[in-house]
Amino acid sequence: MEVSVSSAVNVSILAMSVIFTVLIILIFTIKTLVKLIPYQESPVAPVRKIVASAPGQDDHVAAITASLAAHMGKSPDEFRIVNIQSR
Amino acid sequence: MEFSFGASASKIIHSTGFSELAGGDLIMIGVGCTLIYLAIRKKFEPLLLLPMGFGCLLANLPLSMMKATDSGGLLNFFYQGVQHEILPPIIFMGVGALTDFGPLLANPTTLLLGAAAQIGVYTTLIGAVYLGFNMQEAAAIGIIGGADGPTSIFIASKLAPHLLAPIAVAAYSYMSLVPLIQPPIMKLLTTEEERKIKMAQLKQISQTVKILFPIVVTFVCCLLLPGVTPLLGMFMLGNLFRESGVTQRLHETTETHLINIMTIMLALSVGSSMTADSFLRLETIKIIVLGLLAFGFATAGGLLFGKIMCKATGGKVNPLIGSAGVSAVPMAARVSQKVGADADSSNFLLMHAMGPNVAGVIGSAVAAGIFVSLFGDMTGVDTHAALAPVIGNPEPGIQAIATVVDAIKQ
Repeated sequence: MEVSVSSAVNVSILAMSVIFTVLIILIFTIKTLVKLIPYQESPVAPVRKIVASAPGQDDHVAAITASLAAHMGKSPDEFRIVNIQSR
Repeated sequence: MEFSFGASASKIIHSTGFSELAGGDLIMIGVGCTLIYLAIRKKFEPLLLLPMGFGCLLANLPLSMMKATDSGGLLNFFYQGVQHEILPPIIFMGVGALTDFGPLLANPTTLLLGAAAQIGVYTTLIGAVYLGFNMQEAAAIGIIGGADGPTSIFIASKLAPHLLAPIAVAAYSYMSLVPLIQPPIMKLLTTEEERKIKMAQLKQISQTVKILFPIVVTFVCCLLLPGVTPLLGMFMLGNLFRESGVTQRLHETTETHLINIMTIMLALSVGSSMTADSFLRLETIKIIVLGLLAFGFATAGGLLFGKIMCKATGGKVNPLIGSAGVSAVPMAARVSQKVGADADSSNFLLMHAMGPNVAGVIGSAVAAGIFVSLFGDMTGVDTHAALAPVIGNPEPGIQAIATVVDAIKQ
Protein backbone atom coordinates (compact mmCIF):
# COMPACT_ATOMS: atom_id res chain seq x y z
CA MET A 1 0.00 0.00 0.00
CA GLU A 2 2.77 2.41 1.02
CA VAL A 3 4.61 1.77 -2.24
CA SER A 4 1.45 2.39 -4.29
CA VAL A 5 0.70 5.68 -2.55
CA SER A 6 4.27 6.86 -3.02
CA SER A 7 4.01 5.86 -6.70
CA ALA A 8 0.80 7.89 -6.97
CA VAL A 9 2.54 10.87 -5.38
CA ASN A 10 5.43 10.53 -7.85
CA VAL A 11 3.03 10.27 -10.80
CA SER A 12 1.14 13.32 -9.52
CA ILE A 13 4.27 15.46 -9.19
CA LEU A 14 5.47 14.38 -12.63
CA ALA A 15 2.07 14.97 -14.23
CA MET A 16 1.58 18.42 -12.67
CA SER A 17 5.06 19.36 -13.89
CA VAL A 18 4.17 18.22 -17.41
CA ILE A 19 0.85 20.13 -17.34
CA PHE A 20 2.55 23.34 -16.22
CA THR A 21 5.31 22.86 -18.81
CA VAL A 22 2.85 22.30 -21.66
CA LEU A 23 0.68 25.25 -20.66
CA ILE A 24 3.71 27.55 -20.16
CA ILE A 25 4.83 26.63 -23.69
CA LEU A 26 1.33 27.59 -24.86
CA ILE A 27 1.50 30.90 -22.97
CA PHE A 28 4.73 31.85 -24.72
CA THR A 29 3.31 30.69 -28.04
CA ILE A 30 0.21 32.83 -27.60
CA LYS A 31 2.25 35.85 -26.51
CA THR A 32 4.47 35.47 -29.58
CA LEU A 33 1.46 35.16 -31.87
CA VAL A 34 -0.24 38.20 -30.35
CA LYS A 35 2.99 40.19 -30.62
CA LEU A 36 3.58 39.19 -34.24
CA ILE A 37 -0.03 39.69 -35.31
CA PRO A 38 -1.43 42.61 -33.34
CA TYR A 39 -5.12 43.45 -33.41
CA GLN A 40 -6.05 46.05 -35.98
CA GLU A 41 -9.34 47.85 -36.17
CA SER A 42 -11.15 46.59 -39.23
CA PRO A 43 -11.49 49.46 -41.73
CA VAL A 44 -14.98 50.87 -41.57
CA ALA A 45 -16.72 51.01 -44.91
CA PRO A 46 -17.41 54.63 -45.92
CA VAL A 47 -21.02 55.46 -45.29
CA ARG A 48 -22.74 57.75 -47.76
CA LYS A 49 -24.06 60.67 -45.90
CA ILE A 50 -27.70 61.39 -46.58
CA VAL A 51 -28.18 65.07 -46.33
CA ALA A 52 -31.28 67.12 -46.71
CA SER A 53 -31.03 70.03 -49.04
CA ALA A 54 -29.49 72.98 -47.33
CA PRO A 55 -31.68 75.98 -46.50
CA GLY A 56 -32.04 78.31 -49.44
CA GLN A 57 -31.36 75.56 -51.98
CA ASP A 58 -34.98 74.49 -52.39
CA ASP A 59 -35.51 76.65 -55.46
CA HIS A 60 -32.34 75.37 -57.05
CA VAL A 61 -33.27 71.76 -56.28
CA ALA A 62 -36.74 72.28 -57.74
CA ALA A 63 -35.31 73.84 -60.93
CA ILE A 64 -32.71 71.15 -61.43
CA THR A 65 -35.27 68.43 -60.69
CA ALA A 66 -37.65 69.82 -63.26
CA SER A 67 -34.91 70.17 -65.90
CA LEU A 68 -33.56 66.71 -65.23
CA ALA A 69 -37.04 65.18 -65.32
CA ALA A 70 -37.68 66.81 -68.69
CA HIS A 71 -34.31 65.67 -69.99
CA MET A 72 -34.70 62.07 -68.74
CA GLY A 73 -38.39 61.82 -69.65
CA LYS A 74 -39.28 60.79 -66.11
CA SER A 75 -41.64 62.06 -63.48
CA PRO A 76 -39.94 64.24 -60.79
CA ASP A 77 -41.24 61.73 -58.22
CA GLU A 78 -39.05 58.98 -59.64
CA PHE A 79 -35.80 60.50 -58.44
CA ARG A 80 -34.63 62.88 -55.78
CA ILE A 81 -31.85 65.43 -55.54
CA VAL A 82 -30.82 65.97 -51.95
CA ASN A 83 -27.76 68.12 -52.11
CA ILE A 84 -25.99 70.65 -54.24
CA GLN A 85 -22.39 71.41 -53.47
CA SER A 86 -20.74 74.54 -54.79
CA ARG A 87 -17.06 74.39 -55.74
CA MET B 1 -52.36 -28.26 -31.69
CA GLU B 2 -54.09 -28.49 -28.35
CA PHE B 3 -54.62 -25.21 -26.57
CA SER B 4 -54.57 -25.13 -22.81
CA PHE B 5 -55.62 -21.80 -21.32
CA GLY B 6 -53.73 -22.34 -18.07
CA ALA B 7 -50.48 -23.41 -19.75
CA SER B 8 -50.60 -20.50 -22.21
CA ALA B 9 -51.33 -17.96 -19.48
CA SER B 10 -48.45 -19.37 -17.47
CA LYS B 11 -46.15 -19.13 -20.51
CA ILE B 12 -47.11 -15.49 -21.10
CA ILE B 13 -46.57 -14.64 -17.44
CA HIS B 14 -43.16 -16.29 -17.49
CA SER B 15 -42.17 -14.43 -20.65
CA THR B 16 -42.78 -11.01 -19.06
CA GLY B 17 -40.02 -9.01 -17.45
CA PHE B 18 -41.77 -9.23 -14.08
CA SER B 19 -40.78 -12.86 -13.71
CA GLU B 20 -37.08 -11.92 -13.99
CA LEU B 21 -37.20 -8.73 -11.94
CA ALA B 22 -34.63 -8.91 -9.15
CA GLY B 23 -33.99 -6.64 -6.17
CA GLY B 24 -30.90 -5.14 -7.80
CA ASP B 25 -32.89 -4.26 -10.92
CA LEU B 26 -35.50 -2.48 -8.80
CA ILE B 27 -32.83 -0.46 -6.99
CA MET B 28 -31.23 0.54 -10.30
CA ILE B 29 -34.63 1.49 -11.73
CA GLY B 30 -34.95 3.69 -8.64
CA VAL B 31 -31.51 5.21 -9.39
CA GLY B 32 -32.59 5.87 -12.99
CA CYS B 33 -35.82 7.51 -11.82
CA THR B 34 -33.83 9.63 -9.35
CA LEU B 35 -31.61 10.90 -12.17
CA ILE B 36 -34.72 11.71 -14.23
CA TYR B 37 -36.22 13.51 -11.23
CA LEU B 38 -33.01 15.53 -10.66
CA ALA B 39 -32.94 16.47 -14.33
CA ILE B 40 -36.60 17.53 -14.60
CA ARG B 41 -37.38 18.97 -11.18
CA LYS B 42 -33.97 20.24 -10.04
CA LYS B 43 -32.62 21.07 -13.52
CA PHE B 44 -29.31 19.27 -12.72
CA GLU B 45 -27.53 18.88 -16.11
CA PRO B 46 -30.87 17.84 -17.68
CA LEU B 47 -29.43 17.35 -21.15
CA LEU B 48 -27.30 14.52 -19.79
CA LEU B 49 -28.95 13.22 -16.66
CA LEU B 50 -32.35 12.75 -18.31
CA PRO B 51 -31.20 10.42 -21.14
CA MET B 52 -28.71 8.81 -18.74
CA GLY B 53 -31.48 8.10 -16.22
CA PHE B 54 -33.76 6.74 -18.94
CA GLY B 55 -30.93 4.59 -20.30
CA CYS B 56 -30.47 3.20 -16.78
CA LEU B 57 -34.21 2.53 -16.56
CA LEU B 58 -34.20 0.70 -19.91
CA ALA B 59 -31.08 -1.32 -19.10
CA ASN B 60 -32.55 -2.65 -15.88
CA LEU B 61 -35.82 -3.84 -17.33
CA PRO B 62 -35.27 -7.60 -17.55
CA LEU B 63 -35.34 -9.22 -20.99
CA SER B 64 -35.32 -5.81 -22.69
CA MET B 65 -31.91 -6.39 -24.31
CA MET B 66 -31.02 -2.78 -23.55
CA LYS B 67 -27.93 -3.30 -21.38
CA ALA B 68 -24.64 -2.00 -22.77
CA THR B 69 -23.39 -5.58 -22.62
CA ASP B 70 -26.39 -7.13 -24.45
CA SER B 71 -24.76 -8.06 -27.72
CA GLY B 72 -27.05 -7.10 -30.60
CA GLY B 73 -29.20 -4.82 -28.45
CA LEU B 74 -29.84 -1.22 -29.50
CA LEU B 75 -27.86 0.41 -26.70
CA ASN B 76 -25.02 -2.07 -27.21
CA PHE B 77 -24.58 -0.48 -30.64
CA PHE B 78 -24.56 3.00 -29.09
CA TYR B 79 -22.09 1.75 -26.48
CA GLN B 80 -19.63 0.85 -29.23
CA GLY B 81 -19.17 4.60 -29.62
CA VAL B 82 -18.00 4.83 -26.02
CA GLN B 83 -15.97 1.64 -26.12
CA HIS B 84 -14.14 2.69 -29.27
CA GLU B 85 -13.71 6.29 -28.05
CA ILE B 86 -15.83 7.82 -30.81
CA LEU B 87 -18.54 9.75 -28.98
CA PRO B 88 -16.49 11.81 -26.46
CA PRO B 89 -14.16 13.28 -29.13
CA ILE B 90 -17.12 14.23 -31.34
CA ILE B 91 -18.77 15.92 -28.37
CA PHE B 92 -15.48 17.72 -27.81
CA MET B 93 -15.66 18.96 -31.41
CA GLY B 94 -19.03 20.51 -30.59
CA VAL B 95 -17.63 22.03 -27.40
CA GLY B 96 -14.78 23.50 -29.46
CA ALA B 97 -17.29 25.01 -31.87
CA LEU B 98 -19.03 26.63 -28.90
CA THR B 99 -15.83 27.94 -27.28
CA ASP B 100 -14.48 31.45 -27.67
CA PHE B 101 -10.77 31.50 -26.88
CA GLY B 102 -10.72 35.32 -27.03
CA PRO B 103 -10.52 35.89 -23.24
CA LEU B 104 -7.76 33.28 -22.93
CA LEU B 105 -5.77 34.77 -25.82
CA ALA B 106 -6.20 38.26 -24.36
CA ASN B 107 -4.77 37.13 -21.01
CA PRO B 108 -2.77 33.94 -21.66
CA THR B 109 -1.30 33.76 -18.14
CA THR B 110 -4.73 32.53 -17.01
CA LEU B 111 -3.69 29.21 -18.56
CA LEU B 112 -1.75 28.71 -15.33
CA LEU B 113 -5.02 28.75 -13.39
CA GLY B 114 -6.32 25.97 -15.62
CA ALA B 115 -3.14 24.03 -14.82
CA ALA B 116 -3.34 24.70 -11.06
CA ALA B 117 -6.93 23.46 -10.89
CA GLN B 118 -5.74 20.05 -12.13
CA ILE B 119 -4.38 19.49 -8.61
CA GLY B 120 -7.85 18.08 -7.90
CA VAL B 121 -7.16 15.29 -10.39
CA TYR B 122 -3.96 14.23 -8.66
CA THR B 123 -5.06 14.56 -5.04
CA THR B 124 -7.96 12.29 -5.99
CA LEU B 125 -5.59 9.90 -7.73
CA ILE B 126 -3.56 9.61 -4.53
CA GLY B 127 -6.76 9.20 -2.48
CA ALA B 128 -8.06 6.51 -4.83
CA VAL B 129 -4.81 4.55 -4.61
CA TYR B 130 -4.96 4.88 -0.83
CA LEU B 131 -8.50 3.42 -0.88
CA GLY B 132 -7.26 0.37 -2.76
CA PHE B 133 -7.83 1.14 -6.44
CA ASN B 134 -5.05 0.25 -8.85
CA MET B 135 -3.24 3.01 -10.73
CA GLN B 136 -5.38 2.82 -13.88
CA GLU B 137 -8.62 2.88 -11.91
CA ALA B 138 -7.29 5.72 -9.76
CA ALA B 139 -6.39 7.71 -12.88
CA ALA B 140 -9.92 7.22 -14.27
CA ILE B 141 -11.43 8.33 -10.95
CA GLY B 142 -9.00 11.23 -10.58
CA ILE B 143 -9.98 12.76 -13.92
CA ILE B 144 -13.40 13.53 -12.39
CA GLY B 145 -11.51 16.47 -10.85
CA GLY B 146 -11.05 17.83 -14.37
CA ALA B 147 -14.80 18.55 -14.27
CA ASP B 148 -15.11 17.52 -17.86
CA GLY B 149 -17.68 14.84 -18.69
CA PRO B 150 -16.42 13.69 -22.11
CA THR B 151 -12.83 13.54 -20.81
CA SER B 152 -13.94 11.48 -17.80
CA ILE B 153 -15.81 9.05 -20.05
CA PHE B 154 -12.92 8.91 -22.51
CA ILE B 155 -10.40 8.02 -19.81
CA ALA B 156 -12.73 5.66 -17.94
CA SER B 157 -13.55 3.72 -21.11
CA LYS B 158 -9.84 3.48 -21.89
CA LEU B 159 -8.36 2.72 -18.47
CA ALA B 160 -11.18 1.32 -16.31
CA PRO B 161 -14.27 0.44 -18.39
CA HIS B 162 -15.80 -1.48 -15.48
CA LEU B 163 -15.99 1.81 -13.53
CA LEU B 164 -17.44 3.85 -16.39
CA ALA B 165 -20.98 4.13 -14.99
CA PRO B 166 -20.17 5.44 -11.48
CA ILE B 167 -17.45 7.74 -12.84
CA ALA B 168 -19.80 9.26 -15.44
CA VAL B 169 -22.59 9.69 -12.92
CA ALA B 170 -20.22 11.28 -10.37
CA ALA B 171 -18.66 13.59 -12.97
CA TYR B 172 -21.94 14.89 -14.37
CA SER B 173 -23.67 15.07 -10.99
CA TYR B 174 -20.90 17.17 -9.47
CA MET B 175 -20.67 19.34 -12.59
CA SER B 176 -24.31 20.17 -12.13
CA LEU B 177 -23.61 20.93 -8.46
CA VAL B 178 -20.75 23.37 -9.20
CA PRO B 179 -22.93 26.36 -8.14
CA LEU B 180 -23.41 24.67 -4.76
CA ILE B 181 -19.93 23.16 -4.24
CA GLN B 182 -17.74 26.09 -5.23
CA PRO B 183 -19.07 29.23 -3.46
CA PRO B 184 -18.37 28.07 0.13
CA ILE B 185 -14.79 27.13 -0.82
CA MET B 186 -14.35 30.44 -2.68
CA LYS B 187 -15.56 32.45 0.30
CA LEU B 188 -13.43 30.42 2.68
CA LEU B 189 -10.19 30.92 0.76
CA THR B 190 -10.55 34.58 -0.26
CA THR B 191 -11.00 37.81 1.66
CA GLU B 192 -13.74 40.37 1.02
CA GLU B 193 -11.12 42.79 -0.38
CA GLU B 194 -9.81 40.16 -2.80
CA ARG B 195 -13.32 39.39 -4.04
CA LYS B 196 -13.86 43.09 -4.77
CA ILE B 197 -10.81 43.43 -7.04
CA LYS B 198 -11.80 44.76 -10.45
CA MET B 199 -9.79 43.57 -13.41
CA ALA B 200 -8.76 45.68 -16.39
CA GLN B 201 -10.74 45.29 -19.59
CA LEU B 202 -9.42 42.58 -21.90
CA LYS B 203 -7.65 43.67 -25.05
CA GLN B 204 -8.90 42.78 -28.52
CA ILE B 205 -7.33 39.86 -30.37
CA SER B 206 -6.68 39.60 -34.08
CA GLN B 207 -8.88 37.15 -35.97
CA THR B 208 -5.72 35.65 -37.52
CA VAL B 209 -4.44 34.75 -34.03
CA LYS B 210 -7.80 33.15 -33.24
CA ILE B 211 -7.49 31.05 -36.41
CA LEU B 212 -3.87 30.09 -35.78
CA PHE B 213 -4.42 29.21 -32.11
CA PRO B 214 -6.26 25.87 -32.58
CA ILE B 215 -3.71 24.79 -35.19
CA VAL B 216 -0.75 25.68 -32.96
CA VAL B 217 -2.28 24.02 -29.86
CA THR B 218 -2.97 20.85 -31.84
CA PHE B 219 0.58 20.81 -33.14
CA VAL B 220 2.25 21.48 -29.76
CA CYS B 221 0.03 19.41 -27.45
CA CYS B 222 -0.54 16.44 -29.72
CA LEU B 223 3.17 16.09 -30.43
CA LEU B 224 4.00 16.33 -26.73
CA LEU B 225 1.17 14.03 -25.62
CA PRO B 226 -0.09 11.86 -28.51
CA GLY B 227 -2.68 10.21 -26.26
CA VAL B 228 -4.62 13.47 -26.06
CA THR B 229 -5.01 13.80 -29.85
CA PRO B 230 -8.54 12.36 -30.21
CA LEU B 231 -9.93 14.76 -27.62
CA LEU B 232 -7.83 17.86 -28.18
CA GLY B 233 -7.64 17.43 -31.95
CA MET B 234 -11.43 17.32 -32.28
CA PHE B 235 -11.81 20.18 -29.80
CA MET B 236 -9.52 22.37 -31.85
CA LEU B 237 -11.12 21.30 -35.15
CA GLY B 238 -14.49 22.44 -33.81
CA ASN B 239 -12.93 25.75 -32.80
CA LEU B 240 -11.33 26.16 -36.21
CA PHE B 241 -14.78 25.67 -37.80
CA ARG B 242 -15.92 28.57 -35.63
CA GLU B 243 -13.03 30.95 -36.15
CA SER B 244 -12.15 30.32 -39.79
CA GLY B 245 -15.33 32.02 -40.95
CA VAL B 246 -15.48 29.87 -44.09
CA THR B 247 -17.25 26.79 -42.70
CA GLN B 248 -20.40 28.31 -41.34
CA ARG B 249 -22.52 25.24 -42.10
CA LEU B 250 -20.07 22.89 -40.38
CA HIS B 251 -19.81 25.26 -37.44
CA GLU B 252 -23.57 25.47 -37.03
CA THR B 253 -23.94 21.70 -37.34
CA THR B 254 -21.23 20.84 -34.82
CA GLU B 255 -22.38 23.34 -32.21
CA THR B 256 -26.04 22.32 -32.43
CA HIS B 257 -27.32 19.14 -34.06
CA LEU B 258 -24.16 17.03 -34.01
CA ILE B 259 -23.34 17.66 -30.35
CA ASN B 260 -26.98 17.09 -29.44
CA ILE B 261 -27.16 13.75 -31.28
CA MET B 262 -23.87 12.60 -29.77
CA THR B 263 -25.00 13.69 -26.31
CA ILE B 264 -28.15 11.57 -26.61
CA MET B 265 -26.13 8.55 -27.72
CA LEU B 266 -23.43 9.05 -25.09
CA ALA B 267 -25.83 9.59 -22.20
CA LEU B 268 -27.99 6.61 -23.20
CA SER B 269 -24.86 4.46 -23.54
CA VAL B 270 -23.59 5.44 -20.11
CA GLY B 271 -27.06 4.90 -18.65
CA SER B 272 -27.21 1.46 -20.24
CA SER B 273 -23.97 0.53 -18.46
CA MET B 274 -25.57 1.31 -15.07
CA THR B 275 -26.60 -2.19 -14.13
CA ALA B 276 -26.86 -3.64 -10.65
CA ASP B 277 -23.69 -5.70 -10.94
CA SER B 278 -21.62 -2.74 -12.18
CA PHE B 279 -23.12 -0.02 -9.98
CA LEU B 280 -24.27 -1.50 -6.67
CA ARG B 281 -20.80 -1.95 -5.24
CA LEU B 282 -18.72 -0.41 -2.49
CA GLU B 283 -16.48 1.10 -5.17
CA THR B 284 -19.36 3.28 -6.33
CA ILE B 285 -19.65 4.94 -2.92
CA LYS B 286 -15.87 5.44 -2.84
CA ILE B 287 -15.99 7.02 -6.32
CA ILE B 288 -18.86 9.35 -5.34
CA VAL B 289 -16.91 10.52 -2.26
CA LEU B 290 -13.64 10.85 -4.20
CA GLY B 291 -15.43 12.79 -6.94
CA LEU B 292 -16.63 15.37 -4.42
CA LEU B 293 -13.10 15.69 -3.02
CA ALA B 294 -11.78 16.06 -6.57
CA PHE B 295 -14.06 19.03 -7.24
CA GLY B 296 -13.21 20.59 -3.88
CA PHE B 297 -9.45 20.28 -4.34
CA ALA B 298 -9.63 21.48 -7.95
CA THR B 299 -11.52 24.60 -6.87
CA ALA B 300 -9.10 25.21 -4.01
CA GLY B 301 -6.07 24.69 -6.27
CA GLY B 302 -7.31 27.25 -8.78
CA LEU B 303 -8.19 29.75 -6.06
CA LEU B 304 -4.85 29.45 -4.27
CA PHE B 305 -2.97 29.94 -7.53
CA GLY B 306 -5.24 32.90 -8.21
CA LYS B 307 -4.14 34.38 -4.88
CA ILE B 308 -0.50 33.89 -5.88
CA MET B 309 -1.18 35.65 -9.20
CA CYS B 310 -2.99 38.40 -7.31
CA LYS B 311 0.07 39.00 -5.10
CA ALA B 312 2.50 38.69 -8.03
CA THR B 313 0.61 41.28 -10.12
CA GLY B 314 0.13 43.73 -7.26
CA GLY B 315 -3.60 43.06 -6.96
CA LYS B 316 -4.53 43.14 -10.64
CA VAL B 317 -5.97 39.61 -10.68
CA ASN B 318 -9.11 38.70 -8.77
CA PRO B 319 -8.43 35.26 -7.21
CA LEU B 320 -12.06 34.27 -7.78
CA ILE B 321 -11.35 33.62 -11.46
CA GLY B 322 -9.04 30.78 -10.32
CA SER B 323 -11.97 28.59 -9.36
CA ALA B 324 -13.10 28.68 -13.01
CA GLY B 325 -9.98 26.71 -13.89
CA VAL B 326 -11.88 23.51 -13.10
CA SER B 327 -13.38 23.46 -16.61
CA ALA B 328 -17.19 22.92 -16.34
CA VAL B 329 -17.70 25.54 -19.05
CA PRO B 330 -19.36 28.00 -18.61
CA MET B 331 -20.92 27.23 -15.24
CA ALA B 332 -17.70 27.70 -13.23
CA ALA B 333 -17.13 31.11 -14.85
CA ARG B 334 -20.68 32.11 -13.97
CA VAL B 335 -20.04 31.12 -10.35
CA SER B 336 -16.92 33.35 -10.30
CA GLN B 337 -19.03 36.20 -11.68
CA LYS B 338 -21.77 35.64 -9.11
CA VAL B 339 -19.49 35.44 -6.08
CA GLY B 340 -17.59 38.53 -7.32
CA ALA B 341 -20.85 40.41 -7.87
CA ASP B 342 -22.03 39.43 -4.37
CA ALA B 343 -19.00 41.27 -2.95
CA ASP B 344 -19.35 44.24 -5.29
CA SER B 345 -22.34 44.47 -7.60
CA SER B 346 -20.35 46.58 -10.09
CA ASN B 347 -17.69 43.89 -10.50
CA PHE B 348 -17.93 41.97 -13.79
CA LEU B 349 -15.64 38.94 -13.78
CA LEU B 350 -17.42 36.75 -16.31
CA MET B 351 -15.18 37.40 -19.32
CA HIS B 352 -12.03 37.28 -17.16
CA ALA B 353 -13.15 33.94 -15.73
CA MET B 354 -13.78 32.51 -19.21
CA GLY B 355 -9.99 32.52 -19.78
CA PRO B 356 -9.15 30.04 -16.98
CA ASN B 357 -12.41 28.22 -17.72
CA VAL B 358 -11.36 27.23 -21.25
CA ALA B 359 -7.79 26.80 -19.97
CA GLY B 360 -9.27 24.18 -17.64
CA VAL B 361 -10.63 22.29 -20.66
CA ILE B 362 -7.15 22.24 -22.20
CA GLY B 363 -5.59 21.42 -18.82
CA SER B 364 -7.89 18.46 -18.18
CA ALA B 365 -7.31 17.21 -21.73
CA VAL B 366 -3.55 17.43 -21.13
CA ALA B 367 -4.00 15.59 -17.80
CA ALA B 368 -5.94 12.91 -19.70
CA GLY B 369 -3.15 12.71 -22.27
CA ILE B 370 -0.62 12.14 -19.51
CA PHE B 371 -2.71 9.30 -18.10
CA VAL B 372 -3.03 7.73 -21.54
CA SER B 373 0.73 8.06 -22.03
CA LEU B 374 1.46 6.50 -18.64
CA PHE B 375 -1.25 3.87 -18.32
CA GLY B 376 -2.85 3.46 -21.76
CA ASP B 377 -2.08 0.59 -24.07
CA MET B 378 -0.18 2.90 -26.47
CA THR B 379 -1.44 1.00 -29.50
CA GLY B 380 -0.09 3.74 -31.73
CA VAL B 381 3.43 3.07 -30.47
CA ASP B 382 2.98 -0.65 -30.96
CA THR B 383 1.82 -0.05 -34.53
CA HIS B 384 4.78 2.20 -35.21
CA ALA B 385 7.13 -0.31 -33.63
CA ALA B 386 5.66 -3.07 -35.80
CA LEU B 387 6.05 -0.93 -38.89
CA ALA B 388 9.62 0.08 -38.10
CA PRO B 389 11.35 -3.01 -39.58
CA VAL B 390 9.14 -2.74 -42.68
CA ILE B 391 9.92 0.89 -43.42
CA GLY B 392 13.46 0.61 -42.14
CA ASN B 393 13.15 3.50 -39.73
CA PRO B 394 13.76 2.71 -36.08
CA GLU B 395 12.18 6.01 -34.92
CA PRO B 396 14.28 6.41 -31.79
CA GLY B 397 11.85 8.86 -30.12
CA ILE B 398 8.95 6.42 -30.27
CA GLN B 399 11.13 3.55 -29.13
CA ALA B 400 12.21 5.63 -26.15
CA ILE B 401 8.56 6.27 -25.19
CA ALA B 402 7.78 2.56 -25.58
CA THR B 403 10.71 1.71 -23.33
CA VAL B 404 9.50 4.14 -20.65
CA VAL B 405 5.95 2.74 -20.90
CA ASP B 406 7.24 -0.83 -20.61
CA ALA B 407 9.26 0.17 -17.56
CA ILE B 408 6.18 1.73 -15.95
CA LYS B 409 4.05 -1.32 -16.77
CA GLN B 410 6.64 -3.58 -15.18
